[in-house]
Parts: sequence; structure tokens; C-alpha cells
Amino acid sequence: MATNTTDRISNGLDVSSAFSYDVSGVLPAYWLAMLRVITGWWFFHAGVTKLLESGLSYSYGPMYLQGMDGTVLGPLPVWMGNNLAWLIEPGVPLGETLIGLGLMAGVLVRLASVFGVFFMALFWVGNAGFTNGVVNSDLMGLLLFITMAVLATGRYYGLDAVIEQLSVVERHPRLKYLLG
Amino acid sequence: MNNYTIIDKAALAVSSAAMLVGIVVLGVVETLAGSPHSPAPVTNDAGEVIATPLISANIRTGFVLAGVLVLLLWAVYRVAAVRPTDDSTETTPVSAD
Repeated sequence: MATNTTDRISNGLDVSSAFSYDVSGVLPAYWLAMLRVITGWWFFHAGVTKLLESGLSYSYGPMYLQGMDGTVLGPLPVWMGNNLAWLIEPGVPLGETLIGLGLMAGVLVRLASVFGVFFMALFWVGNAGFTNGVVNSDLMGLLLFITMAVLATGRYYGLDAVIEQLSVVERHPRLKYLLG
Repeated sequence: MNNYTIIDKAALAVSSAAMLVGIVVLGVVETLAGSPHSPAPVTNDAGEVIATPLISANIRTGFVLAGVLVLLLWAVYRVAAVRPTDDSTETTPVSAD
């Protein structure tokens, strides 16, 4: 499933190569896929257990944001907690579950990773577990999602490699910004 | 990076600089400044704060998130401003030998 891209860039951006890492051997491709699936399971498990325990009414989500007073994000998370509870209560478990599913199956990996970065930024700042420094597991999770997006890990043993060959993607190459 | 413009290179430079300042540079400053060596206050057994970090965690997380934000805005700019030319690309499978 690993691909080797031969580019003939004429004018503009070659989307396939812009985000890809030149994986010419099976071991790097295997490891990128492993990282992607394990990161996906991490979020899928977090989301699906919330769904099983609280359904679409995850009330801790808005409470968590309401407690993020005095962070670098200013009043934004508190405002979200106070005014967007209707979205956050179902959005957190559903979002985590879908991000996890996307990463595990390798579908829309870049789009899922951007949402993963958003979640992890809130967790990193909100948990504020800085006793051993700012580089903690939350920040590493955030960096993992950026890595998933930059290296287009969905192309390695993931369905994005197949989806990118579909005619609809050929006709609308900007979709590749969300895939890979 | 052959087809990256000055805007692309500047965005990546600013993004990485902000993240590295927040994590590494200010981390070095804080380490050299003495206890606490991390951006969390030190408390005694009674829970009283006996030492506060030289640099607020908000400043350091702010630098890092600013770097992430620049990266995100740059990605949005690329999607909006750079025309994909993927029809000129050949993709060939590589055998796993």
C-alpha cells in the first residue's frame, strides 16, 4: 500500500507529494500505520466509553471548559462551556469516537487530525499538568496528531490510499487536503 | 520545499520558532532560574505555595498554541490560495520487499 510518488509539478501544488513522507520501504510505512491506528484507538476508546456511560449527554464536557478560567485561551473555553453545552455534550464523545474511527480506518485522516489537535490543545491547557514541564503526555498527543496530518499516514495501509484514487477525488483534487 | 514561496517559508519559520521558544528556550530560562524548574508552583505539605515559576505557564502554552495556530492558518491559506495540480502526478505502488 505504500506509494512512491513521481512528481511532474508544472504549476501550483502537487497535493500528493506536498504532505507525504517519502516512504520507500515497508518498515516506515508499517510504523506510520501502527502509530495511526494506536492514536486512533486512544481517541476511539475515550469517545466510545463516554458514549456507553453518558450517551450524548456528556455533561462533564461543559463543566471542564467552565473550569478553564485564567488560561492562555482567555474567556473562550469558559464562554464555550456556558453557551455551547448543547453542542459540547454530544460533540465530545461523538468527536472523539469519529476521530478515532477515522484514524484507525485511515479515512479522512488529515481532517480528523485537525480536530484531534483542537481537542488536545484544550486538554493540554485545561489539564495543566505541568509539574514535570510543559512537555507532557497531552502535548505529545497534540504533536502526534500534527504528525498524522503532515505525514499523510492514511495512505499507509489506510483507506485514504484507495479513496484518493476515486474519480470524485480526481475531479476535485482539493479533497486531498482532507485525505491522506 | 522547492515550490514554497516566501509566505510559506515565513509561516513555517514563525510557527516553529514560536513552538521552540515556548518549549525549549523558555524551558532553559526556567531551569537556569532555579526552583521550581517547571511551570507549576511548589507547595508545602499544608498546600501553601512556597515557590512560583519564573515564567507563567500561560506564556509558554501561549507561544506553543500560537505556533500551532500559525500552522493551521498557513494550511488554510494553502488550501485557499494554491491550486492543486495533482493530475500531473504519477503514483506507483512499491512492493514490500
